[in-house]
Amino acid sequence: MRALAAAAAGLAAALALVLAVTALGPPGGETSPEPLLSSPPAHP
Amino acid sequence: MRRRASLVLLALAVFCTALSPLLRWYAFPRLAKVPAGHYQAVVLEAKDATLIDYATLEPRRVPKVTMVQTVKGNVEQARRVKAATGRDVVVWDTLTHAAGPDGAMVSRIPERYVFDAHSQQPVHAGGEHVDDTPVRRDGIEFKWPFLVEKRDYRYFGMMTRTSAPIHYKGTRTFRGLDVYYFEQTIPWTEVPLPRQLPLGITPDTVRQLGLERWYTTRRMFWVDPVTGAPVNGEEIHREEMRWTGHPEKKPITAFAGHVKIRPDYVAHTVATVKGQRQLVLLLTRHLPLGLLALGLALLAAALVLEARDRRAPATEVAHDGGKPERPTPGEGALSRGGSP
Repeated sequence: MRALAAAAAGLAAALALVLAVTALGPPGGETSPEPLLSSPPAHP
Repeated sequence: MRRRASLVLLALAVFCTALSPLLRWYAFPRLAKVPAGHYQAVVLEAKDATLIDYATLEPRRVPKVTMVQTVKGNVEQARRVKAATGRDVVVWDTLTHAAGPDGAMVSRIPERYVFDAHSQQPVHAGGEHVDDTPVRRDGIEFKWPFLVEKRDYRYFGMMTRTSAPIHYKGTRTFRGLDVYYFEQTIPWTEVPLPRQLPLGITPDTVRQLGLERWYTTRRMFWVDPVTGAPVNGEEIHREEMRWTGHPEKKPITAFAGHVKIRPDYVAHTVATVKGQRQLVLLLTRHLPLGLLALGLALLAAALVLEARDRRAPATEVAHDGGKPERPTPGEGALSRGGSP
């Protein structure tokens, strides 16, 4: 019974971690202030 | 004590083993996304190309035609599309600006490409267009999805404004990376004229002259299979102005050249992709496999501890021949609840 509880705790922790990380998601960011170019830059 | 340690190890084993598939199949599609604010410029060149002179309507050889392709993620528009569709999307406003050897504009084509941030599938919202003409894309453009498959994809062409298959032609090694090589050939097709042409010429002017624009290309991409980012691209591109209703008249070559990414941009792209692919590999391969191995090792350790814990009392019993411990008289009296 205690083994089952330990396994359940491990599973719950894994689920909680993944749900928390995916809920945060990747950062949204902002639109770059750089313009759409009409001349080639000297370097990347 | 040993029993408690085996339970902790078991919990950790389940944690690691469960985390492995959760990361690969639940977290990865939700975390691996093209950043909404991505900005990138690429310079392409066609050396010893042929270019139409709109003043004389004659083709001429030029040492170089340069194309600057800028991609700019429109974060505000992406948020609006997400609010409307509920999907995480990326909105790319792009500009393909072609210039002759003197730097004068040859053509200038803006685009808006709206796509799913993970799968790269087009999303039909937010004003997708090519050269301010609304389009409805199917297939991919600019970038392949994460974890590219060895199969043909549908690729959207800015010139024809339609999608056609782009064929997987095998795996190649490009600057130390194993990449998938894709190729697409577009046969001679009539295509719209760009809205912005040199010398203030408009598409209507060209049509009034009795000309129409035709195009063919062989498009080649070397794609990193992990990130889906092309690390190199080339096009053998030809454009002609043909006389409407007069197939007997000789067409005018508007452009002919082998377009390649400028070498410094290739080197920069390869370096960027080499860094980004490690993040994708971490989520899809290194962490899931590492966690699975760790989980199995922890499970084995938990089982060993548990087995030792169970064997210990039995061993103690076996050492004295299996006879039950004889209680001292005092202990026996206490255990039976008697008084001394």
